[in-house]
Amino acid sequence: MSAWAPAAARSASRRAARDPIAVAVAVGFYAIVATVISTLWRTAATAHGGQVAGYTGVQLTWYLYFAEAAVTALQQRQIEMTGDDIVSGAIAVEMLRPVSVVGLRLATEFGRCLPRLAACTAIGLTLAWITSGPPVEVAALLLALPSLLLAVACNLAAQHAFAGAAFWVRDARSAWFLYQKLVFLLGAMLIPAEALPGWLHSAALALPFLAMAYVPARLAAGHLEPQLLLLQMGWLVVLGAAAVAVFAAGERRLQVVGG
Amino acid sequence: MTVTAVRGTDTVAISSTGLTKAFTTGRRRHRRLVEAVRGIDFLVQRGERVAYIGPNGAGKSTSIKMLTGILHPTAGAASVLGRVPWQERRQLTREIGTLFGQRSQLWFELTPRETFRMLGSIYKIPAAALRARVGELAELLDAEELFDLPVRALSLGQRMRCELAACLLHEPVVLFLDEPTIGLDLLAKQRFRELLVRLNEERGTTIFLTSHDVADIEQVAQRAIVINHGSVIYDDRVAVMRRELLATKIVEAAVATPVCFNDMKGVEATEHTSSTLRLVVDTTIRPVREVLDVLLTTAEVSDITVTDPPLEQVIAEIYERPRT
Repeated sequence: MSAWAPAAARSASRRAARDPIAVAVAVGFYAIVATVISTLWRTAATAHGGQVAGYTGVQLTWYLYFAEAAVTALQQRQIEMTGDDIVSGAIAVEMLRPVSVVGLRLATEFGRCLPRLAACTAIGLTLAWITSGPPVEVAALLLALPSLLLAVACNLAAQHAFAGAAFWVRDARSAWFLYQKLVFLLGAMLIPAEALPGWLHSAALALPFLAMAYVPARLAAGHLEPQLLLLQMGWLVVLGAAAVAVFAAGERRLQVVGG
Repeated sequence: MTVTAVRGTDTVAISSTGLTKAFTTGRRRHRRLVEAVRGIDFLVQRGERVAYIGPNGAGKSTSIKMLTGILHPTAGAASVLGRVPWQERRQLTREIGTLFGQRSQLWFELTPRETFRMLGSIYKIPAAALRARVGELAELLDAEELFDLPVRALSLGQRMRCELAACLLHEPVVLFLDEPTIGLDLLAKQRFRELLVRLNEERGTTIFLTSHDVADIEQVAQRAIVINHGSVIYDDRVAVMRRELLATKIVEAAVATPVCFNDMKGVEATEHTSSTLRLVVDTTIRPVREVLDVLLTTAEVSDITVTDPPLEQVIAEIYERPRT
């Protein structure tokens, strides 16, 4: 990717920032959900002698605010919208530019997420600090910030790879529901991965979803594990390559009838 | 069926040999192949203005999508500027411009100028060159004031001028236009047609235009290729076509008082009531102007329109012509 990718991201970011109401609604929703869930987990930790799956109440609070921020920053129903563009043939116009269709889409969507991610992170930091106290490990928290960006990038790449199914099945709506549940559960967004039953934990470790929520959350919870960023980068390469491959194969069999 | 590549020559802009596209419809046992384009053959020289016309469902858009590399053909060969469109799509998009009347390439939340900046980085146009290019296009399209309005606030005619600017930004050698005048009002259509001719005459841009509006052919194209049910059924100079197939005009008038109009040679009244009159004028026998003069001097006319025959009628005439 050359200059067009950052230009697309910048342009999309500016467009998203011009709609402060949409950002405010997403952040409001995030603040309520993350606060409710983290309060529940703190209560559970207190009831279990101060810890759940090795996380203290304070750590769980920071964990959940960051896990929620990583997922809420994304435009909802991304798979469905991309799939609809493929089925309706709207994607044909994008094929008339001398750049990768999926590359331009990923750059644009990444840029679109940034204002929301920045706002959610700022609110999350503030609320976590107010409700449970200062971060457990500042260095780990600092690592959580680039990790959030990688989490969003991994999530977008995976969603585009899933959405590419619309080239074959002509519908990506059901894929969105399945995908969303996988991120919630196997991405350890609502429950720390260590609290998952053994077989589910093994499945989560083998799949890319942990890179989308768990990694920034675990770092924010005070675990200074920089190797987690490498794990995210690895998954980003794999998922990006998968999205490119799916679109390349799909574009060859695109069916657009009529004007 | 096989898909092969054919290389063009320096003077050939577009070539198509046996180009075929079949779509699969239905599921499982009801699955069947529908041939949208059936082995079309033609050559377009650089600098030509060609109208590729046909009724809805004739295969125009499918052809243009194959020629721009969006669709892969089922069989046949094609080249645009010496490139096989579906194999070298990204390289080709630097040399061609494409405008779909029914699909926008502008970002609706941006102003056209912001879209141009975005396209400038996609096409790697240096900032100074881009500014100069946008200035030139603003002058050519008389659109300076439109470039700073949000796209969603533009009328269809204004948006089409901005769409044209967007697809001319990288100075394409061939311009594919798929029903660019659809939905435009008469004045906007006229202005758009003039722009295309000017672009061709001043810059030598090859124009390949699909339409089902007969006026697009007469006012823009030098040559017309008519397609129906996926096959080319007519390919000739527009001057010849005008003489052979577009020799009639339809005059419709609303009259305040009944008028007698049945004794002019070359004029046939196909509808004649106390308040309306519909005349089919054979322009090889009698110019429309003469008919209008007579009508306006002998009757109290409250409204009058002159239209071309519908494309379906032109196609019917093509089929009725004796085969040579």
